[in-house]
Amino acid sequence: MADFLAAYSIQNWLESCPQGYLVGTVYGHRPEEEEPAALLENEILREEAIRTTVQLVVGERCALAASSGLINAAPDEASKRFLATQTLDEARHVEIFTQRLLDLGVPKKDLESTIQHFANPNLVKFAEVLLEKVDKKDFVAGVVGQNIVLEGMAFSVFEMMHAISEPTNPKFAHMLSGTIADERRHVGFGENRIGSLIKQYPERKPDIEKLQKEMSYWMLATFADAFRNNPARAEFKRIEGELGRAGVHAEWQGVDLLTMEPEEMEHLLADTVLKEFKIRLGRIGIEYQTPARP
Amino acid sequence: MQNKRLSGHPKSAEPGEGRFDLHDLPPEVFYDQVHSFEFWFQAVQGYLSNKVYGVDPNIAPPDLPDLDRDRLITVLCNYCVGETAALEGSSGLIGIAPNRQTKIFLSTQVVDEGRHLEVFLHRLQLLGVADPESEVERRASRSLMLFKRRLLELVNGKDWEAAIFAQNVILESLEFTVFQSHAREADPLTRDLLLGIVKDERRHIGFGENELGRRLQLAPHIRARLGQVKRELDHLVLDTLEETLLELGADSSEREKLGRAYLEAAARLGLGT
Repeated sequence: MADFLAAYSIQNWLESCPQGYLVGTVYGHRPEEEEPAALLENEILREEAIRTTVQLVVGERCALAASSGLINAAPDEASKRFLATQTLDEARHVEIFTQRLLDLGVPKKDLESTIQHFANPNLVKFAEVLLEKVDKKDFVAGVVGQNIVLEGMAFSVFEMMHAISEPTNPKFAHMLSGTIADERRHVGFGENRIGSLIKQYPERKPDIEKLQKEMSYWMLATFADAFRNNPARAEFKRIEGELGRAGVHAEWQGVDLLTMEPEEMEHLLADTVLKEFKIRLGRIGIEYQTPARP
Repeated sequence: MQNKRLSGHPKSAEPGEGRFDLHDLPPEVFYDQVHSFEFWFQAVQGYLSNKVYGVDPNIAPPDLPDLDRDRLITVLCNYCVGETAALEGSSGLIGIAPNRQTKIFLSTQVVDEGRHLEVFLHRLQLLGVADPESEVERRASRSLMLFKRRLLELVNGKDWEAAIFAQNVILESLEFTVFQSHAREADPLTRDLLLGIVKDERRHIGFGENELGRRLQLAPHIRARLGQVKRELDHLVLDTLEETLLELGADSSEREKLGRAYLEAAARLGLGT
């Protein structure tokens, strides 16, 4: 274990993240990049971008609370130090996505009320299930919930958003690419560290499987709201048509997202995340539990 | 790096350009600025780039006489206890911090404290300590362990003002005082490492004094509570200071001087000496 944890040292983090892929960025993107005028001038798209970004802020606030809360529950110094880097990564994500809300025109005084207004209640439930474990200082369940379920979900969601943003919004795409690089590290730690703990405490498996099933349900309910019940659906369709005619593509998981119906995108995202959960949980000796479909 | 939040402000020059003075900013912009990842990022880039485990890689580990080496190991073990207390304290404080900016500042402090712990453990390895964590447990000062326990009780009790006072004023001032004094006499490798850490501690103390200073202005009754915490912790801190300075070979006048320097930190908040 000591050797694997050496790869997650603060020295490595400093060299790869602040002194690596974040060099030359400001709030996670290149200084000259801005939100596209086509988004800022279209009220439907702007509100939708605010709604989406609020979910990112809510998710990252949960991750910040969880990673900082898990430091005191960690059984060894090296895990504490890795979680220290994760805490600052998550705080950075909170900061850059909050800054994006300001860039999208949310007045500073209205930040909290905007977050309250747009926060998806299913995502809030998802966060509550995880934070309950963290509050109880349950390190094993907390790390599975945080570094495998939450981070695994975020990883795929950000990748999908990145695929759509790359040809249409380079500023947001850059913010996401730095975040994805962070999430990859967090998921890697979760898998590596928890595997040995599960072997040590096999009696914890049923509780953790229940946690995964419950969190997965709230995640799917959040996806359902974002895709099926999206008020900007017609405007998205119109813009996707325009982009398609202009020869723009957004490839992810072998398909062009711009040609898909919202329901198809929802299924693609949900299936990708759940498939990843199954693989990652299998690696640490946890049996994946199929959640109910909302 | 440009700072977006300052764009358009008359003092929007970059830190380091001479005419920029952060303290001239309106309070709201000031707090937003100094409590950000971006501010931390700019600050540490200045003194951590090209360092490996907190030191210039061109500085060779010195050969120390056995007695000096053993004393340095004891001192570093106790620095590890202090940094672990600060790591656990600052991470616990994020959960009870009153707003986003404070949570983000404390997250930068969490990684600073984690880094300090890591570089001290690494220095112990360079001194030939095979299992630094066990060595820390073996050599830990009783007073410092009691201080750590009390600090975490305050954090777990969600006592924001008392916990910030214990951590960002008392503990950080103790570390600042000791590290600065130690750096003056230390071997080149340890000195380089300590000077980088002192720069972080200055930021943490500034945050603590500022946060409590504002709260004391708004709610003066907090002063009595903090005075009580100070009285409770003073003897643990002064005992730790005395033990560490003895290991470092400081004479009695130096020990008295540093004891006073620590007490002055609390006095700056009007909590008396």
